[in-house]
Amino acid sequence: MKSTIKFLFAFLAIASLGLTACNKDDDAPAKDPGTLSILFDNKLGDKGISLKDFGDKTFDYTDANGQAFNISLFAYYISAIELEGPGGVKHIDPLKVTANASEVTGYYHVISTTPGSNVINLSGIEPGTYNKIRFTVGVDESGVQEGAAGGVLDPANGAWFWNWNAGYIGFGVEGNASNSGQEYVDWGNGFETLEGTYAIHVGGWKDVEPQPGEDPKFVNNIKVIELDFDSSIKIEDGLSPQAHINVNFEELLKGIDFSATYAVHRPDLGKPFAEKLVEVFEFDHVHQ
Amino acid sequence: MTSPVVYWACLVLTVFVSCSDEDEPTLPVNRYEFRVPENFPQPIYTFDNNPVTKAGFDLGKALFYDPILSRDGSASCNNCHIQATAFADSPVHPLSVGVDNRLGIRNAPPLTNMAFFPEFFWDGGVTHLDFVPINAIEADFELDETVENVVAKLNANKKYRDMFRDAFDIEEVTLPYTLYALSQFTNMMVSANSKYDRYIRNEGGSLTALELEGLATFSEKCGACHSGELFTDFSYRNNGLDSTFADTGRNRITALNSDIGKFRVPSLRNVALTAPYMHNARFKTLEEVLDHYDNGMVYYETIDETFVNQNGLGIDLEETDKAAIIAFLNTLTDFDFVQDTLFFRN
Ligand code: HEC
Ligand code: HEC
Repeated sequence: MKSTIKFLFAFLAIASLGLTACNKDDDAPAKDPGTLSILFDNKLGDKGISLKDFGDKTFDYTDANGQAFNISLFAYYISAIELEGPGGVKHIDPLKVTANASEVTGYYHVISTTPGSNVINLSGIEPGTYNKIRFTVGVDESGVQEGAAGGVLDPANGAWFWNWNAGYIGFGVEGNASNSGQEYVDWGNGFETLEGTYAIHVGGWKDVEPQPGEDPKFVNNIKVIELDFDSSIKIEDGLSPQAHINVNFEELLKGIDFSATYAVHRPDLGKPFAEKLVEVFEFDHVHQ
Repeated sequence: MTSPVVYWACLVLTVFVSCSDEDEPTLPVNRYEFRVPENFPQPIYTFDNNPVTKAGFDLGKALFYDPILSRDGSASCNNCHIQATAFADSPVHPLSVGVDNRLGIRNAPPLTNMAFFPEFFWDGGVTHLDFVPINAIEADFELDETVENVVAKLNANKKYRDMFRDAFDIEEVTLPYTLYALSQFTNMMVSANSKYDRYIRNEGGSLTALELEGLATFSEKCGACHSGELFTDFSYRNNGLDSTFADTGRNRITALNSDIGKFRVPSLRNVALTAPYMHNARFKTLEEVLDHYDNGMVYYETIDETFVNQNGLGIDLEETDKAAIIAFLNTLTDFDFVQDTLFFRN
């Protein structure tokens, strides 16, 4: 009985809202919502990345300090994407964390083993002119603290997740380096780490205010990247605009000494790499 | 009948229909509903994402008692978390024992009142209850299995596929729903029916003179850390167990030197049942624990300043104080909980 009455009132409320809202519709743009494809172009310097197996000592890249290395695997999370235009138009890609994989939205895992994962297609964008993009690299507290999650956040489904210091690995790259200090490790049950490899995992999302006079307790390696487009793009139904963003691993690994830094698996060790993420992501171009 | 809109609707429509709750039959108590005891704080668990249902709870229970979660089918959660000790480990396993009888590095804590905990494990490395079992499944000294394999094994099992369908309306078993089910089972392990609770909630229970004296002494000497109704402030502290640390505790998570040797202040509910004590199972009895606080502490620079005083390290306790505190700690045992058939293996 109660619910019937609630329903009746909800209905009346919606109906009257509908009536009052009608005159506002006149100023609204006539076009329907549009889409945007965001392409992350993964690069090592000015070249594309050609993935090599772990243990493969053919190095296609030598850095400024003469260290020869290659890349075998990489992955990063992009989340909380926002678009803005000069006229004040704004699009926020909704975030949802749930066990139901088909309902998880707003989190994207670009991972070298999944072709096409570097393309993010946004839809339902309010028509208008846009010239700025903002996104988070990693999964911040609001995502972690919702608990178990499906889809790209499911550790049994390829999510990069730290168990012991629970949270997602925001940015990771692994490969081989001529001078890596890594020795062979047999972890048992078929898991091993090969000699001469490296693995840089950047995670850590906690922000805990330190006590007065105390060092900060946690390293929050979540980074928000904001990029301006060189020209505005129009988004509306019927158009298929694209934004290209370069992800340059050369910037991430600049200055690394592989003989000492080859296994980064802790927030504090990942911090210097997290600080470089603003250089790693760079705007390339947009086209309609 | 709290929403103002609905209330107003009632006033207007009273002429036609009755809105009163009175004529609705009283339902039998739902044992599968998560309830917050009157004297407890608000829960922290994200129940909006994962509310407890009978089917979800039953599934979580089945998983908890099933060695299917381990690599060789030899160990389940129940190996280290048994109801008789409020789901702490059995006293014969000071350090938990997993697959191949491998020893863990820490004493398994009880699993009661997890819904009220902000962080998990002795070092607080896990910040959401859902993520705890991933550690248990994958730690090589616990169940030594991968989450991918667990999901594959569950999917290959008709009984489980049916149970997941009942609980979550899904055709394919996935890890997050497995974690939801385990959390539903653990979240229901609310232990709030001890002698102390009946006293503090004015439910007709009373404490003896000795127990009351113990409560007063405890509040004064121990309450700075073991505070509130869960008897912990969830901070990380060093209570003087060691001067060198193979297991550096909170430092493993924060990497700070100032956190070496700090461990989470444990809840003391059901403490009489959860021997041995401390993260490394150092003490077998509460008497030993109190002797430690009185005069057994050793110095390391991160020791809590509460324990540093003119007479040396520790908390001054007379033998009569110790006896009273132990009498009080014994009132924290919840016999209803450890005998509750709700948690029995089916
Ligand atoms: C081999 C023994 C073992 C097994 C099996 C085991 N646990 Fe544990 N459990 C432990 C230990 C030891 C800890 C404390 C770990 C730490 O502090 O690092 C713990 C901690 C926990 C905690 C956190 C308690 C707290 O106070 O923070 C929960 C929850 C838990 N286990 C649930 C489970 C579940 C669910 C399973 C089955 C999937 C399971 N455990 C299997 C030994 C075990
Ligand atoms: C400064 C904070 C602090 C004070 C004060 C304190 N404790 Fe503790 N207590 C702790 C910490 C931290 C641990 C866990 C230490 C570890 O395992 O490394 C602990 C562990 C315990 C345990 C073991 C519980 C278990 O499940 O293993 C008992 C029992 C205990 N305390 C009782 C007391 C009593 C009784 C007093 C007062 C006489 C007291 N504590 C005072 C911080 C404190």
